[in-house]
Amino acid sequence: MSEEMACHGCDLLVDVSGLENGQRAACPRCGHFLTRYRADVYSRTTAYAVAALILLVLANSYSFLAFSASGMESVMTLRQTPAALWQYGMPGVALIVGAFIIAIPALVLLLLIALCIPLSLGIYRPWLVPVARGIFLAQNWAMVEVFIIGVIVSLVKIAAMATVSLGISFWAYAGFTVCFTLAVSTLDRYQCWQTLEELAAG
Amino acid sequence: MNSKGNTAASRGLAACHLCCKLAPQELHHCPRCGAAMHLRQPDSIQRTLALLVTACLLYIPANLYPIMYTDQLGTTETSTIIGGVLLLIDLGSVPVAVVIFIFSVMVPSGKLMAMFYLVWTVERHSPLNPRQRSVMYRVTEFIGKWSMIDVFVVAILAALVHLGGLLVIRPGIAALSFAGVVIVTMIAAESFDSRLIWDNMEDKNREH
Repeated sequence: MSEEMACHGCDLLVDVSGLENGQRAACPRCGHFLTRYRADVYSRTTAYAVAALILLVLANSYSFLAFSASGMESVMTLRQTPAALWQYGMPGVALIVGAFIIAIPALVLLLLIALCIPLSLGIYRPWLVPVARGIFLAQNWAMVEVFIIGVIVSLVKIAAMATVSLGISFWAYAGFTVCFTLAVSTLDRYQCWQTLEELAAG
Repeated sequence: MNSKGNTAASRGLAACHLCCKLAPQELHHCPRCGAAMHLRQPDSIQRTLALLVTACLLYIPANLYPIMYTDQLGTTETSTIIGGVLLLIDLGSVPVAVVIFIFSVMVPSGKLMAMFYLVWTVERHSPLNPRQRSVMYRVTEFIGKWSMIDVFVVAILAALVHLGGLLVIRPGIAALSFAGVVIVTMIAAESFDSRLIWDNMEDKNREH
């Protein structure tokens, strides 16, 4: 099997065979990241993805933020972020926000688990190919880390107006952001497809 | 270094954009993952340019119309993206104002300018520092989604702040156009093929 890879940034052919555990390769011409080899990539990714999924469920089960001023209080859940936009007559933005912060990340996590558990056990099934395609197509559109920074900016913005308290969901979502980012960045595109090809060939 | 034979294209190979598989250029679909295969992104420059123009048009209402309404004790205050930044400075939250300014003003406009510049240099086959332009492209691609912060802030505030007649925050129409700008520029960055920057160099080398 060929161990040559074309750089996605400049098309240069680079020999990426013989990478040691944990070592990463970058293109010598344009500096683009090529691949990183990890012997335990699938069990690692599974662990992060399962943790992230549990935290996402928690983040959807409790209150996210509470806001109080002059004896009045309003509490919001994570789901109300897109729901409020919908209620104010902006279904387009509501769908976009809901997709970027909840739906797409959840889908990516489920696909990651469906892919990485069989691969960590060395099992190949033809449906793993569309699952892997789905992961690499969808992962660019998950914006969980952007959202958590958005939450922090919102907090500072309204801190002057009233008292804001953080709910369990907020902390769950913050943890989810870390685990999700680790899960997505651990799974290496090149290594993943090489494994699929090797397993398919038997 | 000999420029002939060290790129995939010069050896008659195309790389799959989704799974990195190297396969003969004649194939239409990747033999490994089944994605559509192209030597370069089809009509990369035209598509990118069209999307950039779309983003510029969306950027106008995104800045002119209010992104957020604040109803406080019977009075309604509207704020645009720039207005929100100025208000934050007035309130003394300079660090947050800087964050919002960077991600809502500098990143989207800087990204549009960077993409126009890259398209322009590729179009006129500029030999100018390709490595620097590659880095520029990667930064543009990476930073794109961070502009969504302002849309998320509006969504969070609208969901959180609704205290009857006392204080209510509502989203404004600019949130839609601004989300549009972010999404369209992200697609523009994806449809731009940074290998074109290097193809120019290859052509130049071959002529000599």
